[in-house]
Amino acid sequence: MVVGQEVVRFLAQRIALGALVVVFASALTFFFVNLAPGGPASVMRFDVTAEQREALIHRMGLDRPVPERYVEWLAAAVRGDLGSSLLTDEPVAQRIGERLPNTLALAGSALLLSVGAGIPIGVVQALRRGRAVDHVLSLLSAVGLAVPVFWLGIVLILVFAVSLHVLPSAGVTGVASDSLGDRLAHLVLPAVALATTILPTIVRFVRSSTIEVLDEDYIRTATSKGLSPRTVITRHALRNALIPVVSAIGALVPRLLGGTVVTEAVFGWPGMGRLALEAAQGRDYPLVTGLTVVVAAIAVVASLAVDLAYTRIDPRIRLT
Amino acid sequence: MSRLGVAALAILVAVGALALAGPFLWTIPPEATDPAHGLAGLSAAHPLGTDELGRDVLSRLLHGSRVTLLVGVAAMLAALVIGVVVGAIAGYSGGWLDAVLMRFTDAMLAVPAFFFILVVITVSGTGLATLVLVIGGLSWMPVARVVYGETLRWKTAEFVIAATSLGVPARRLLASHILPQAIPSLVVSATLGVAFAILTESALSYLGLGVQPPIPSWGNMLQRAQQYVFTAPALAIYPGLAITVVVLAFNFLGDGLRDALDPRRRR
Amino acid sequence: MQLLPMSFRPSALILVAALAVSACTGAGQPAASGAPSAQGQPVAGGTVTIPIGADPTLNPWSPNAFVESLFINRVIFEGLTKPGKDLAPAPDLATSWTIAPDGLSWTFKLRDGVKWTDGKPFSADDVAFTFNDIVLKKELGAQNAASYAAVKSVTVVDPTTVRFDLSRKFAALASFLAYNSGIVPKHVLSADPLKTTSFNKGTPVSTGPFKVEKYTSGQSVSLVRNDSYFGPKPYLDKVVFTVVPDPNTQIAQALSGDLTIMILDNKAAVDRVKNASGLTVVSRPLVQYYWLALNQTDSRFTDVRVRQAFVHAIDRKAIIKSVELGYGQVANSPITPALKAYFDPSLSEKYPYDPPKAKELLAAAGWTPGANGVLQKDGKPFQFTMDVGQRGVLEPVNALIQQDLKNVGVIADLNTMEWNAYIQKDVVRRDYTATVNWWTYPSDPDVFPYYHSSAAGKGFNIPGYQDPKLDDLLVQGQSASDLEQRKAVYKQLQAYTSETLPYLFLWYPQEIDVLSSSLQGVPELGLRDAVQYIGEWWLAKK
Repeated sequence: MVVGQEVVRFLAQRIALGALVVVFASALTFFFVNLAPGGPASVMRFDVTAEQREALIHRMGLDRPVPERYVEWLAAAVRGDLGSSLLTDEPVAQRIGERLPNTLALAGSALLLSVGAGIPIGVVQALRRGRAVDHVLSLLSAVGLAVPVFWLGIVLILVFAVSLHVLPSAGVTGVASDSLGDRLAHLVLPAVALATTILPTIVRFVRSSTIEVLDEDYIRTATSKGLSPRTVITRHALRNALIPVVSAIGALVPRLLGGTVVTEAVFGWPGMGRLALEAAQGRDYPLVTGLTVVVAAIAVVASLAVDLAYTRIDPRIRLT
Repeated sequence: MSRLGVAALAILVAVGALALAGPFLWTIPPEATDPAHGLAGLSAAHPLGTDELGRDVLSRLLHGSRVTLLVGVAAMLAALVIGVVVGAIAGYSGGWLDAVLMRFTDAMLAVPAFFFILVVITVSGTGLATLVLVIGGLSWMPVARVVYGETLRWKTAEFVIAATSLGVPARRLLASHILPQAIPSLVVSATLGVAFAILTESALSYLGLGVQPPIPSWGNMLQRAQQYVFTAPALAIYPGLAITVVVLAFNFLGDGLRDALDPRRRR
Repeated sequence: MQLLPMSFRPSALILVAALAVSACTGAGQPAASGAPSAQGQPVAGGTVTIPIGADPTLNPWSPNAFVESLFINRVIFEGLTKPGKDLAPAPDLATSWTIAPDGLSWTFKLRDGVKWTDGKPFSADDVAFTFNDIVLKKELGAQNAASYAAVKSVTVVDPTTVRFDLSRKFAALASFLAYNSGIVPKHVLSADPLKTTSFNKGTPVSTGPFKVEKYTSGQSVSLVRNDSYFGPKPYLDKVVFTVVPDPNTQIAQALSGDLTIMILDNKAAVDRVKNASGLTVVSRPLVQYYWLALNQTDSRFTDVRVRQAFVHAIDRKAIIKSVELGYGQVANSPITPALKAYFDPSLSEKYPYDPPKAKELLAAAGWTPGANGVLQKDGKPFQFTMDVGQRGVLEPVNALIQQDLKNVGVIADLNTMEWNAYIQKDVVRRDYTATVNWWTYPSDPDVFPYYHSSAAGKGFNIPGYQDPKLDDLLVQGQSASDLEQRKAVYKQLQAYTSETLPYLFLWYPQEIDVLSSSLQGVPELGLRDAVQYIGEWWLAKK
């Protein structure tokens, strides 16, 4: 694969920009969290004396000014050291590392589900545009977008776990076992709930993009050449229709990651979203900042990957 | 406008009317507790039953609609203001200011909004003002993009060039000539913006970070309801349904407006 | 009751087998709500699963050991004493103790032949290390250090004897030593007592009946029987603490048979659980009471008639019924019914719900109805803000209290806050007017830290109530030398605090535990205390 000079320049530019975004996000978070009322949960216990509180604050170095602590944090972060969690004394990187796979699994499955279901649905809607099927699916899509994801989660739990006992209600694995089947069963409900945050948008994109392509001249040419509709669709229309969808997916990744926070709360999923909520409530400053950095980095990398993929698929696009 | 859009508008008008007038017609106070009759089913006195403290669900739903809609509209307005300012300045100035502002917009878009909202609200407290500012502060980006595009588009229109040559200052130019052209797009953005704000507020309230009790909002009614999901699941249905219907209506309205106001779109 | 993919869950299999067999061959005793029916002789074997809310920190002295860590720490670590089944202190690592005549030193005889799970012998050095180098070292900020404010130092007399030297008489020492005060190994933690993560978050070295086998973050901590345990061999093979943060999920898991015993925090679900077969629901006493603190620096609240009026105005029975689903009892003093030896039941009917009486008392204190029925004095309405921390049942309780106060003309505005910020404001800065919260404390009536005038301001005396007569009673309670003397003092204390209301006592909650019907041998104590008898638990199977 030849990587042209343009691509390299583009990459370098985007990486630099991405790094800036991440640093900006970290600074914003660090200052916000540190300037908030209260302190780390271990200090803010009801049964802690004033003396103990002072001793703990001093031990954690929290009696130093915020900008000083941020610079110290940044210097270490650049070297790869995200510090230690105030609430568990474990390295932040390790804490995040424990939860990251869970969130990626959840977000990844939701993405797969959305794309896997979204493309066919969108194509069907495009092919049957204006007919009953189109309207019904559009309505369902709209409802999916409007339903609050946590409400959907609760309803799913009620129906499938509590009433029908068909699927587990929370957690990543069963109580005493850890097989693949078990993990998959636990993944179903949360992934479905999370998917509803982006599936409708993907469907809409695929639909309008496919409609545009189907109306193009070259499609008419192919049909008039006698190619079966299916060949026309899959070989010609689909590939071109999917190009803008790829970039749309990239734009949806942040929304997906944001949605994991609430989904993880409803399903007791031990991912980064839960960790962020607990860390913010527990004023675990290094952990919150570390999490923000990781999440921002993921979003940046995802969007970069999407843009790169975009340039590969569509030969008409030039990098600017 | 499409029939769906009109229907949506009608629903929203009805909801708005209920929010405004409802509490005057249905006068049970939303915070009046009656613990002896908690979790009661439907009755003449309480058409939608009571919650765990005996408070009337219908009343809380009506009062909650006021809060939810208020926060939704206010946050959308905040987003609108910020977005218009950023987009207009970027589009009109061009050059490095344009680049910086739009890159900043892109950066904000790249960051998972909810994550930030979470952190900020957890630490800065949960007043209504904070809520509105935070939600608005993380949803202005699409507005900025729209305004940016419109400003670029109309910057080179003849009447604008004419006005510039007449010495009309930039601010007046933007305010009186260019931005009005963007109003149709802004209206669409606004309607969709309210939908987003309502969903975000309810998610935050569910996590305990949004509107604080005893003020009812649809989101925090759902938070309490989750505890009673085994004994009184209906408590979770009403607010969730309300949110879905209103957000749906706003979305349909936005789509309808978009189609009606932009004749170039192919459907 | 349907169980999920059974083939994947050995513990569930055992449970099912146990239930099935006992259903077929047992005397068909119905699963009633009450104590689990004894099913004959204890049987060895089986795994018990208990849910906790988050990853635990396996070190009883770490400031990061929150409530979820408590259960495991009480199983694996042992203190010099443990709560007896009547809640009086019983021997654990110490076999007996004597108090010097002047009451300023206690000598504990330690058990011989106890081994740590890594094989090294337990000795007085570990006790001295735990106290001198961790608890009493102020800069470490160890948890629960406040309980030992009266301890000056711990001295090793010989390998099986230690002496606690005190700065003042401390009758409750033995009780406090039973409360979250596990002894930790000197040879492992001397380098870094509170932050050794291979210990706190891994496999710690301990002396209890079970030891940690595996710690899987975010999921579970599994314990296996400690075969070198000094006491009688535990019946169970394994105990698994599984991390289930969401209370509803805990209920769902209990309903599907995945958990053996749990505390039902969400009392509203009790009916649903009672009806499930294979589960038993019991209520247990707790050493806990809820209170309303009226800041004594606010002159409106210094008049005892106002405080008494408030208690008459609040319908405490209604709160218990709706918020605790009836699992609780009205409180009129700081000594809970769980402390059977000391609790004075004659005070139970004091301050009945009586709004007219409340208004009468308020009027006597100078508050007369003004505009809209709101009470006022010197032209100022009786209005103030109550800070509400977002935790547990505090939100609904405050909503109910707000309404009750409104009915007598007092306007209480609610300021709901995130818990961390609430602690900062109300506890650290003491910047509050009125707030509702609760105290839990060791099973001893010594409530000195919460009531003494020296604890006002920065200590645990939240309302800041200062009364020399009360102080006197508190000190007497600490210095009393025998049980009868203490009982007399604390009876006086209960009567006095009930009259003067330093805190407005609200109610004593009870705990609801949900157990699998096959679980036997669990003493009738709250789960936090019952786990200290986990060696006696067994699973029925015939």
